[in-house]
Amino acid sequence: MPSRRRALLKVIILGDSGYVNKKFSNQYKATIGADFLTKEVQFEDRLFTLQIWDTAGQERFQSLGVAFYRGADCCVLVYDVNVMKSFDNLNNWREEFLIQASPSDPENFPFVVIGNKIDVDGGNSRVVSEKKARAWCASKGNIPYFETSAKEGTNVEDAFQVIAKNALKSGEEEEIYLPDTVDVASSSQQRSTGCEC
Amino acid sequence: MMISNGIEDEEKWLAEGIAGIQHNAFYLHRALDANNLREALKFSAQLLSELRTSRLSPHKYYELYMRAFDELRRLEMFFKDEDRHGCSVVDLYELVQHAGNILPRLYLLCTVGSVYIKSKEAPAKDVLKDLVEMCRAVQHPIRGLFLRSYLAQVSRDKLPDIGSEYEGEGDTVMDAVEFVLQNFTEMNKLWVRMQHQGPLREKEKLEKERNELRDLVGKNLHVLSQIEGVDLEIYRDTVLPRVLEQIVNCKDELAQYYLMDCIIQVFPDEYHLQTLEILLGACPQLQPTVDLKTVLSQLMERLSNYASSSPELLPEFLQVEAFSKLSNAIGKVIEAQADMPIVGAITLYVSLLTFTLRVHPDRLDYVDQVLGACVKKLSGKPKLEDSKATKQVVALLSAPLDKYDDIVTALTLSNYPRVMDHLDAGTNKVMAMVIIRSIMKNKTCVSTSDKVEVLFELIKGLIKDLEGISTDELDEEDFNEEQNSVACLMHMLYNDDPEEMLQIICTVWKHIKAGGPKRLPFTVPPLVFSALKLVRRLQGQDGDVAGEEVPATPKKIFQLLNQIIEALSVVPSPELALRLYLQCAEAANDCDLEPVAYEFFTQAFVLYEEEVADSKAQVTAIHLIIGTLQRMNVFGVENRDTLTHKATGYSAKLLKKPDQCRAVYACSHLFWVDDQDGIKDGERVLLCLKRSLRIANAAQQMANVTRGSSGPLTLFVEILNKYLYFFEKGNPQITSSVIQGLIELIKTEMQSDSTTANHASDAFFTSTLRYIQFQKQKGGAMGEKYDPIKL
Repeated sequence: MPSRRRALLKVIILGDSGYVNKKFSNQYKATIGADFLTKEVQFEDRLFTLQIWDTAGQERFQSLGVAFYRGADCCVLVYDVNVMKSFDNLNNWREEFLIQASPSDPENFPFVVIGNKIDVDGGNSRVVSEKKARAWCASKGNIPYFETSAKEGTNVEDAFQVIAKNALKSGEEEEIYLPDTVDVASSSQQRSTGCEC
Repeated sequence: MMISNGIEDEEKWLAEGIAGIQHNAFYLHRALDANNLREALKFSAQLLSELRTSRLSPHKYYELYMRAFDELRRLEMFFKDEDRHGCSVVDLYELVQHAGNILPRLYLLCTVGSVYIKSKEAPAKDVLKDLVEMCRAVQHPIRGLFLRSYLAQVSRDKLPDIGSEYEGEGDTVMDAVEFVLQNFTEMNKLWVRMQHQGPLREKEKLEKERNELRDLVGKNLHVLSQIEGVDLEIYRDTVLPRVLEQIVNCKDELAQYYLMDCIIQVFPDEYHLQTLEILLGACPQLQPTVDLKTVLSQLMERLSNYASSSPELLPEFLQVEAFSKLSNAIGKVIEAQADMPIVGAITLYVSLLTFTLRVHPDRLDYVDQVLGACVKKLSGKPKLEDSKATKQVVALLSAPLDKYDDIVTALTLSNYPRVMDHLDAGTNKVMAMVIIRSIMKNKTCVSTSDKVEVLFELIKGLIKDLEGISTDELDEEDFNEEQNSVACLMHMLYNDDPEEMLQIICTVWKHIKAGGPKRLPFTVPPLVFSALKLVRRLQGQDGDVAGEEVPATPKKIFQLLNQIIEALSVVPSPELALRLYLQCAEAANDCDLEPVAYEFFTQAFVLYEEEVADSKAQVTAIHLIIGTLQRMNVFGVENRDTLTHKATGYSAKLLKKPDQCRAVYACSHLFWVDDQDGIKDGERVLLCLKRSLRIANAAQQMANVTRGSSGPLTLFVEILNKYLYFFEKGNPQITSSVIQGLIELIKTEMQSDSTTANHASDAFFTSTLRYIQFQKQKGGAMGEKYDPIKL
C-alpha cells in the first residue's frame, strides 16, 4: 500500500540559479511563482513520477509564499559554480527549506546538491571547486553531489536516479492521519457557507 | 486587539479547513486503495469543498489549496489507471460533472481534463477550450484565481506545443497560445475587479491581498514564455500585442506595473530587442501613476546584460536602433506622466545613460544626447533642491567618468557643463570633487589649455565663491580638503610643448586669481611651482636666442610669476610670498637673469621689512634669505654687496640676542662660497664671526644681569664650529691660534661659577674637542693643520 504512494515523488529545486525548461539553463528567464514539471524516472524496474517544483529564485515573484514546500520528498539545492555567492547561499536555502517545509526528521531529510554551469567559458570562470562543494556536502550529512553543464545537461539523469533512490530509502513518511471517529456520515458539510459555488 | 483577533480567527479557520481536508483525504486514500471510484469522487468533492471558504487571506488560502493540490495528484494518477476504476476517460469527464458544488466540480473537471488530454481521445485544444470556458462559472476573485491557476498548472505540460506529443492533427501552437491568453485575460479581470469589492475602509487590506495574488496572474505569462513554439513571430504578432492590450485596457496601476515587469522578466532578451517598439509603445498609455522608471530601468538593465554577454550582439542593437527607441520612449513617458517628480525623470536618464555606456561605449554622441535631454528637462526650472534628484544628477555625471576612466572624454561632451549648471552650489562642489578624484585616480593628464578651460569651468564651485555661498559658512576641514584637491589637480595639467604649457598656466591663473584670500594660499604655490618647472625646461634651450617672437621665454614666465605671487598680498601671506619670491630668484639665477633675480630679492626684502613683523617669522625668513642668497652666483659685485649688506644688517637687528648671533654667523657664508668660482672673502668672514662672538658675549652678560647666572655656552660652541669649518676650508684669516683662544675662552667660562651647568652644551663642546683630537690624529695635511692646537 505505501509503495503505491511512493510512486509519486515531490522534489523541490532551490537555489540562485534556476532549472528552467526541462534543463538547467544559461539564459535568464524568470519563473513566476512556483512551477512544476513531471518527469518519469525508472529505478530498479519501477516507474516513478517525479513532481519537480522549480522556484522563482526572485522574491518579488514569490508573492504567495512557499506553502508548496510542504510534503516534499527531496530537496535539490542548485548553485552556479561560477558564482561564489550562489554557493554561499546554499546554507540559507537549506535552512529556509527545513524551516518552511518542517519535515518530521530534518536531520535525515534527503537533499541533493547540483553544481551547475560547469561548461561556461570552458570552465575558466569557475570559482567554486568540486572539492570545496563536496566538503560542504559531507559536512551536512553526506549530501549526494552532482555537477552539470547547462548546455548538455550531463549528469542530470544520474541526479534524478539518486533522488528517486533516496526518496524511496529514507524519504518522508506520510503524515499519518486518523480521523477521531470513523464516521462517514459526519463530513464537514455543516461548515459550508451557504453559497453553492 | 482587533488585528490580532483577526489573525487568530484566520488561524482557526485555516486549521479547520486543513482538518476537513485531512479528514476527507483519509477516506479518499481508502477509496483509492479499494479502487472505489464512486467513493473517491465523493470524498474528493468533499475535500475540495474546503476551498469554498471566503474567510481566508490569499496566503492562508494558498496553504489550503496546496494541500488539496497534493491530494488531487493522487486522484489524477488513479484516474489515469482505467484498470483500477473501469471507467473510460470520456465517461469520467461526464461523471465528475455530477458533483454538487461548482467549485469542487470544476477542480475535478480540470483534473480529469488533464488525463483526458493525456489519453489523446479528444483533441487537446477542444478539452482546453472547454475547461477554460467552464471556469467562467466561478466569479469570486480569490476562488476563481486559484481555480484558474490550477487549470494553468495541470494543463502546463499538455499544451499542443511544438515537439510535444499533443501537437498535430489540427492542434497547433496557436491553440496553446489562445488557451493561455484566454485564461490570462480572465484572471486579470478577476484580479482587477477585486479592488471594487468590499467596503472602502478595507481598501488598504484589499490592495495588500491583491498584491499577494499577483503571481497567479503573472504565472500565465511564464507559461507563455515556456511554450517552445512561441517563436519571435508569434510573440511579436500575437502574444505581446494581446497581453499589452489587456494590460493597457485594465487601467489598473498595480496590474500594469506588475505585468510590465513580468513581461520584461519572463521573455527572452532577443524577443525584447526585436519588439522594443511595441513594448515601449504601450508605456505612455499606462496610468500616469505607474512606476515606469523602475519598469524601464529593468528593461534597460536586461538589455545591457544581454549586450555584454556577447560582442556579436552589437549589430543587432544597432540594427533595431535600440538607443533611439529607448530614448524616444523615455521622452514620451516623461511627457505623458506630467506629475512625475523631477527625480523620476533623472533616474530614467541615468538608466538610459548606463545602458548607453554599457552597450555603446564608443558613442559619445549618444551620451551627450542623454545629457542634453536631461538639460532640456531641467531648464527653465530653479536649481535643484531635492536631495534625491541631485543625487541622481551626480550619478548621471559620474557615470561617464567611471566608464571612460578619463575626464578628457567627458570634457568633450558639450552638455556636461550644462547639466552641472543646474546643480546647487553644494552639489556642484561634490561633483567637482568627483571629477578631481577621477583625474587623480586615473592619473589623467589634461594637456591643452582648451581642456583646462572646460575643466576649470566645471569645477568652478571649488575655484571661486558661487552665488549664495560665502566661504565663511564652510566647514574649515572640508574647505581645506577641497583646496588641497585643487592643488593636486594642478600637477595633472601638463603639456610637453612649452607654449601650450604656458597657455595652460595662464588659463589656470585666470581662473584661480578670483579665488579670494582663503583659496589663494592653496592655489598659488602649486601654480608657481608648475611655472618654475616650465622655466627649468626652457633654461637649457636658451629661448632668447631665437628672436623676439618666441612666446614662452623664462623672462615672460617670470613676469607672470611676479604677478601671481603679488596676488598673495591680498591674503595677506607675506611669509609664503617671501618663500616663493626666493624660489623664483633662484630659478632666475639659474637662467642667468641678474635683473630678474635682483627684482625677486628686492620683493622679498620689501616684504621682510614691511610685512614680516613677528620675531619668530623674522628668524625663519632671514635664514631663508641667507640660504638662498648664498647660492646665487648671477650677481655682480655691486648688486651682491647691496644684498649681503642688507641681509647682515637685518641679522644684527633681530630682537633676541641668540637669534642675532646665529643669523650673523650664518651671514659669514655669504662671503665664502665653497665652489670653484665662488667668492672667498676671508676678512669679511672673520668680521662676521667676530661680531657674532661679541653678540654672544653680550647675551651672556645680559643673562648675568637679569637672571643672576649666565646662559649656556651653546652659542660659543656653535661659533667655534663655524671657525673650524672656515679653518678647514683654508680661510687664511682663521688661524690655529684664534681657535686656540676661543677654546680657552670656553673652558674658562665653563669653570666660572656663574655659568649654569648645561648638559647639552657640555656634550656639544666635548664632542667638538673630540673631533679636533680626531683630526689631529688623522695625520696628513689636515692633521698638520690641526697640530698647533693644544687641547
